[in-house]
Amino acid sequence: MLVYVSLALLNGLVIGTSRALNGQLSTQNGPFKASFWNHAVGALFLIPALFAAGEWQLDAASAAPPVAYLGGVIGALFVAINSYVFYRLGAMDSALLVISGQMISAVLLDTLNQGVAPSVTRCLGVAVVLVGISLRYLSGKRRNRSSAR
Amino acid sequence: MIRRSMDWILAFASGALLALMINYNSLLARHTTPMFASWVAHGVGAVAALALVLLSSRIARPAGTPPPDPGAKLPFWFYLGGVPGAITVLLASITVNSSLTLSGTIAFMLVGQVLFGIVSDTFGWFRTLKRRVEAIELVAALLILAGSVLIIFGA
Repeated sequence: MLVYVSLALLNGLVIGTSRALNGQLSTQNGPFKASFWNHAVGALFLIPALFAAGEWQLDAASAAPPVAYLGGVIGALFVAINSYVFYRLGAMDSALLVISGQMISAVLLDTLNQGVAPSVTRCLGVAVVLVGISLRYLSGKRRNRSSAR
Repeated sequence: MIRRSMDWILAFASGALLALMINYNSLLARHTTPMFASWVAHGVGAVAALALVLLSSRIARPAGTPPPDPGAKLPFWFYLGGVPGAITVLLASITVNSSLTLSGTIAFMLVGQVLFGIVSDTFGWFRTLKRRVEAIELVAALLILAGSVLIIFGA
């Protein structure tokens, strides 16, 4: 169990590293090129991994509905925007905002997909996330004002 | 202040895009495997990003401005963000199938991302701006993580 907890924690650091590299690349090459390199390099890297795992499934993929391919298009936009904000906001704030946006949207998506209202626990979670963002926003604002004096 | 708000809205919106992306990718993964679905998404994403590069260079750049200096002063490994991005998928497929399941995997990955943010900002990793992370930010981070855990496990 502890091994898997460590692996999942490590995975968060791996995600952060990816976003940091893309963010730095975008300062020089622009966010869209950074997004292109991220996807092209990632696709190349996954080819040997797929063969090693014996998971090469082109036939099965063609059976998926066309909307299933939208994920890649949205991903291209995500990496571009995330790279743009990364070096402007820093690793910490951009991670917190992406997490907040992702979690609150997941609640909305599940509500739409399942047609059932979210549980009380989830609504409470959304509220706590919003309080957290507001606290961070206001603390940054106050510091800006005091440094301007 | 308006610029900061704009960056905040963009970052928050990118999180919404991430949730949408996972929504569609998991549809593809149900027909194949998570790794293969990720490979397809990377391929489609590369084509889409290339289209965005071409579109933005036509539209966004006013006539007469020189093109940005491609790759100047950047070490080549700054181009390799896609490698940790792909490793994420491999690591996640291990932990999702463990006793952590999907919920636990997401929760600990979020904690790991915040830890990365704190360490990266504190030490100025990857040529970012070095700054001290203040106590009130840690409180805000804990609230956002606690709320996320309620969302993940309260489904």
